[in-house]
Amino acid sequence: MNMILAVMYREYRIRKTSLTWLFYDLFMPLTYLLLFGIGLDRAFATGITVAGQVVNYNAFFLSGVLAMACFGIAINTSYGFFVDRDNGIFYEFLTYPMTRAQFLIGKILFNCLLSLVQTLLTIVLGVLLLSIPLAWNRILFVLLGVLLGTAGWFFFLATFALRIRRNDMFNTFINVAYFILMFASSLFYPVGQLPGWLRILAYLNPMTWHTDALRYATIGVGTFDVVVLEALGFSCFFLCSFAAAVRTLRRGILR
Amino acid sequence: MESTGRIIEIEELVKVFRPRSGMPVTALDGLSLSVRQGEIFGLLGRNGAGKTTLLRILTTLSAPTSGAVRVLGHDVQREGLQIRRNMCVVLQENAVELYLSVIDNLTTYARFHAIPRADIPVRAERVLRQFGLEEHRNQKVIDLSGGLKRRVQVAKVFMVDKPVVFLDEATTGMDPINKRATLEAIREQARAGRTIFLTTHILEEAEELCDTIAIIDRGRCIALGDLPTIKSLIPNAFDITITFVSLTDEILGEFQTLPLLKISHKGNTLEACIRSTDLGLFETLSQLTRRYPVRHFEVRSATLEDVFIELLGGKPGTGPAGDLT
Repeated sequence: MNMILAVMYREYRIRKTSLTWLFYDLFMPLTYLLLFGIGLDRAFATGITVAGQVVNYNAFFLSGVLAMACFGIAINTSYGFFVDRDNGIFYEFLTYPMTRAQFLIGKILFNCLLSLVQTLLTIVLGVLLLSIPLAWNRILFVLLGVLLGTAGWFFFLATFALRIRRNDMFNTFINVAYFILMFASSLFYPVGQLPGWLRILAYLNPMTWHTDALRYATIGVGTFDVVVLEALGFSCFFLCSFAAAVRTLRRGILR
Repeated sequence: MESTGRIIEIEELVKVFRPRSGMPVTALDGLSLSVRQGEIFGLLGRNGAGKTTLLRILTTLSAPTSGAVRVLGHDVQREGLQIRRNMCVVLQENAVELYLSVIDNLTTYARFHAIPRADIPVRAERVLRQFGLEEHRNQKVIDLSGGLKRRVQVAKVFMVDKPVVFLDEATTGMDPINKRATLEAIREQARAGRTIFLTTHILEEAEELCDTIAIIDRGRCIALGDLPTIKSLIPNAFDITITFVSLTDEILGEFQTLPLLKISHKGNTLEACIRSTDLGLFETLSQLTRRYPVRHFEVRSATLEDVFIELLGGKPGTGPAGDLT
């Protein structure tokens, strides 16, 4: 536990050196919701139908913004491996008295805390400014979803960040992954209204599973059985990504 | 193993790198050696000899292809965490938190090595003083010069007390004053019973500091022992320094025909390494110094550098591992 706290402390010290960065991390999703969400809310004035329920776009998009924010923090955290490599500190870390798993967990735990603060700010201000009908009784599930989402996507991306040596290659990978994961999902629109091939792609996408679970937890929209299945699917994705990241860190650094 | 006083044991260590394209590269080829407790052990070798590869294996950053490597009795592959709990490392690459201040670098390092929080400020003050970093304490490391960054990196390991310290060319880039301070700090660590395993290209440093020296070439140990043992590998070798009134091309030409181990000159001073068993050579030298006026003549025992050059054939070369090491 001490080692995990030490990694978190280090993340905190680094983040503390740039308050602009911290501010951007905390308020980016809210800004997204206010600018992008409001525009589309007007475009879809009659609301959006999901699982037989009609909701306004702002309410629909809230979970999308939260899922996107989890992914954004995961990208920044995994990109940290390149920064650490450039600074030369990365290999030194691996000689510290901790397991590879402790290193990964400590690194993401601080950023998960950041995700939680970001989520609470987005939700509270979203409710106050956009009158989003939040299901407050499920707020703990929202926070759990945000934690699992941030960590799951971080472990997934870390596996690639640790294997890919060039940061330009990693940037390209992130751009492609971001594009596919975002648009072939239920993040911006309901999957049920997509054409067949895109719908299949979206149903196979962990981003959809994560977004749908968050949507059910935030505004109670969705089919319970489907959401449970999707939540289980995302939990499996989380565990597999964690195992893959630890394995990569153990074996793949310097063969 | 600790009961035998051997802190590091390496037996028949082989490390082969298999690049995606091209032939496999053997960086370490059946290397065996051991390091005793409290010893300052110097690993020497030219670029690509396998020094850094060995250090990476010892510090659990890389896995051996075959052979056995134990640090404090722990196997590097199976018990990496136990080894990491008992060691600290200065890697060849600069390894500092660029965006943190000097003091924060020391503090975070100490926290990673489980130093009690109350002790950290006291230790940090001592290390700042020891490495002349007091005036830079609140500066971000990114704003420091290369030499200062290296100093911060080296200073970190003196924040903690671990039984084994690995130093990979730790004094590279330091000015002579700080280099001296670092060497003294290393000696202090050894006096406190810690085992120091270092690699260096600076042979005078190894000569001054190390209790035991190993010279490796192409992944194999070609010389191992204390300084007299290593020097005895070139028996009866001596360095001579002759300052002529005027060192002409004619004198140089005559010296270049002699079977010297090495020869160099600067201004009117000529330096060479000879073997004293070569009586004919002494006679020739004597004749030369009678023929050409000499201001200064000095004979010393051969240096580690002479031995190093002699053992490695005196030719610049690339080891089998190229840049990998």
